Formats: sequence, C-alpha cells, structure tokens
Amino acid sequence: MKPMLSTDLNAPETTVEKAKIEVKNLNFYYGQSKALKDINLSLPERSVTAFIGPSGCGKSTLLRVLNRIYELYPKQSAEGQVLLDGKNILDRSQDLNLLRTKIGMVFQKPTPFPMSIYENIAFGVRLYEKISKAEMDSRVEQALKRAALWNEVKDKLNASGLSLSGGQQQRLCIARTVAVKPEVILLDEPASALDPLSTAKIEELIDELQADYTIVIVTHNMQQAARVSRQTAFMYLGELVEFDRTEKIFTSPREKRTQDYITGRFG
Amino acid sequence: MAEHTVASFDEDLRQISRLINDMGDLAASMVGASTRALLETDNALAQRVVSDDAIMDARQRELDDRAITLIAKRQPMADDLRNVVGSIRMAGDLERIGDLAKNIAKRVGSVGVSAAPRDLTHSIDSMAQMVLIQVQAVIQEYTVGGATALAKLRNDDERIDVKYTSVFRELLTYMMEDPRNITACTHLLFCAKNLERIGDHVTNIAENAYYVLTGTQLPANRPKQDETAMSAPAA
Repeated sequence: MKPMLSTDLNAPETTVEKAKIEVKNLNFYYGQSKALKDINLSLPERSVTAFIGPSGCGKSTLLRVLNRIYELYPKQSAEGQVLLDGKNILDRSQDLNLLRTKIGMVFQKPTPFPMSIYENIAFGVRLYEKISKAEMDSRVEQALKRAALWNEVKDKLNASGLSLSGGQQQRLCIARTVAVKPEVILLDEPASALDPLSTAKIEELIDELQADYTIVIVTHNMQQAARVSRQTAFMYLGELVEFDRTEKIFTSPREKRTQDYITGRFG
Repeated sequence: MAEHTVASFDEDLRQISRLINDMGDLAASMVGASTRALLETDNALAQRVVSDDAIMDARQRELDDRAITLIAKRQPMADDLRNVVGSIRMAGDLERIGDLAKNIAKRVGSVGVSAAPRDLTHSIDSMAQMVLIQVQAVIQEYTVGGATALAKLRNDDERIDVKYTSVFRELLTYMMEDPRNITACTHLLFCAKNLERIGDHVTNIAENAYYVLTGTQLPANRPKQDETAMSAPAA
C-alpha cells in the first residue's frame, strides 16, 4: 500500500517509500564531452518518474545509463553509482543480461521483431527461461493482456508484428518487455510517434503497470509528464535542476529555470 | 518575467490581466458611488451603480471566456496556470462586490437617511471608507506583485469586522432609543452588512492574488472579529 501523498505541496517529500534506484554522483561522458554532471536522484519503487527537459539536456542519456545500454557504443562512459536495490549496476561484475531482464526498455519508435506477434513475446522469454509450450502460451497471453493488446490480437497471434498499427506495435513492445518479468521499465518517449487515442491507451497502461513496476519515462510532452508521473525531474545542460512531486513541479516549481521551461519561456 | 516563446500567449495573458484591472477599478468606483449615493440620497448616482453592475457582469463573462479558451489552447503551467485560475476566482469575487454595491444603491430610495441621526451616517461613512481603501489596494498590490502587502491586507479585514460590530451595536441603540428610527436603521444595517461582505470578498481576492504570486497558500485561519452573530440572532 502506497502512502498517501500530502496535499501540502511544500511539505518535504516523504522518505518512507523504498528507493528502487538510487543514482549517486553520476557523471557521463560522450568521449570528452560531459553529458551528465553529478546527478543525484532517488526513484521510489512502484511509481512513475518522469524526466523532462529540452533536447540535449541529458534526460535520455540518464535513462540509457539505468540499464547500461550506452555500452553498446564505444567511447561512452559513466562514473559514479547507480544502485538497484542497493547494488551498484555500474560495477564491472554486473551481469548485463541479468540486468536487462530486471530493467526493460521501450523506445520512441516501436521496434517489433520481424516475426509473429506470438514470437515477438516468446523470443525474449526463451532467452532466459526454459518453459513448456503451455506455459509459454499462458505467458504470452498474460503479457498481451497486461499491455492491453490481447483483445485486439488474440485471433491473429501468428500474424507478423509489423502488420499492427503504430500504437499496437508500441503496446506489443511493452508486452514483450513485461513478459520477461522485469522490475523496472524504462520508457523513452513511448508515445511521441502515436496518435492521441493510442497515446491515451499507453498512458492508461502506464497507470496500471505502476502497481507492479518501477517506471521511468522520458517525454517531451509536459502534459503527459504531468498526467502519468508521480515525481518529475527537470534536467538542463546535463544537470538535474529540480526533482520533486509532479504536482509541485507543474504548479509552483522552486527553480526559475524549471518555471521558464514548463511555461514556454525558454531561450 | 521573460516573455513566452509564443508571443500571442503573452497577449492572451495581458488581456486577462487587463480585465481584472478593469473589474477592480469598476468595483472600487461602484463601492464609492453606492455609499455616497446612500449618504447623500443621490438617486441618479444610485442608478448609475445599478447600470454599472451590468457592465461588471459582462466583464466577468468575457474574462471567463478568455480564461477557458486560454486553458484549452495553451495548457498553461506553473505561474501561468495559477494566474489564469486565480483570475477566474478573483473575477468571481469582484463580480460579487459589484452585486453588493448594487444592493446598497438600491436602498437609496427607501432609507430616508435624512431622518436618521447624523452620528449614525457618520459611522457608515467611515466604514465605507475603510472598505473602499481595501478594494482599491487589493487590485493595486496584485498588479505590482506586492505579496507581503496582500498578506497584510487580508488580515486588515479584521478592522472592518470590528467596525461592523460597532456599527451594529450603535444601530441597535438608536432603534431602542426611538422606534421611529427603526426603518432607516434596518436599511442601514443591511448596507453595513453588505459593506462587511465586500470586505470578505477583498479577503478572498487577497488570498487568491497571494497564491498566484507566490505559489503558496496563506494559512487557513485568520482572526475573526464579527461578534454580532453571538450578540444577536443570526441575520
């Protein structure tokens, strides 16, 4: 049971919630250039945190550090600590495959595999688990139901994932992520390429998923951040400018830079 | 405050501020004119207040329309959001002030103030002055961003409440002294009550304006000094 948030926006953030991820003194480099500057931030378990800020502010970079996906590229490096349940995932000894089953990610453009809807979900599960056909059928169904896609695809599970609409493809990607039973889900602009109806479905989904998962969403759409998240982090030029309850950020932010950005007075 | 990237957004916000200012000026003018009409038995002036109230209502409707359109079009955030929502609420209070001034003006024909003791009209006059100063100050301080002054102004309403209590007691005394005063005094009592209510709306405006400017609410409790409810059955 989550504690109720105080309605007094100026009351200090409650610390009773358990932090799922703690970022400590994090610096990040693209070659020589420093993209994140001494980030400190604590993401509470089973709640949605939004990262907002102008292009190039470092919000996507920060997201990409959380599952070390940046390591796919050379010359990118992170310093500091990212603690998942108290354990530093930036540590060399961290098993990357294991990390990515715990921390799933969904990208801006839907990225279904060029295979059937069923296989899109089963593929990832099979990498980590040996389960029977019946168990797999049930896992696929559960994941599609969780992603609110089951009713739309249950009669065509063998159709290609690419035959779905953009919004459906994105929900398929969320189903694929959910199927491997992660603890954290990272969403990088998950609805920016979708129409308003599909966007609403994704937002509804995020709302439901936060009961079981810790969710981090990067979005350019401030109304979306205001709607779906419980905490919001505003970033600018690689710095974390302000991190607070979403209501506070969008009604009376502490920092002038935050206010200028969210009211459209920037630059 | 820096301008918005979208210039027409600033223009939309300016229109709303202009309407709040206009309504504030009109409210002050109506409060001043209605009490003057009452004390000088000036029927023409009273009539003007009644017709001003229609203008006030029209301004409030215009402000509502503009504010709602702005919310739909711009989805304002932070200080902009507080400004727009605060303006809607302040306009509601200004409109009520207009109504109360009109109520005072409508009694001008029936009071027969000349029959009432001079001391009494003097008390109403000084109470009206206190209220008028508050009405003028609240919009002025909002315009110049005087948050501290607004917090003080809100507390100053206490003085109006104290004044109302004393006017109420004075009126009772006059009525007991001479039953021929009862008609005039009853009308004046309603006028005093209307003035006291105007003070309460100024308090609401000050609270809203403070929130718009600072993003924080003033404490919920403010000293309350209207004791007439305790000394007599509720009006």
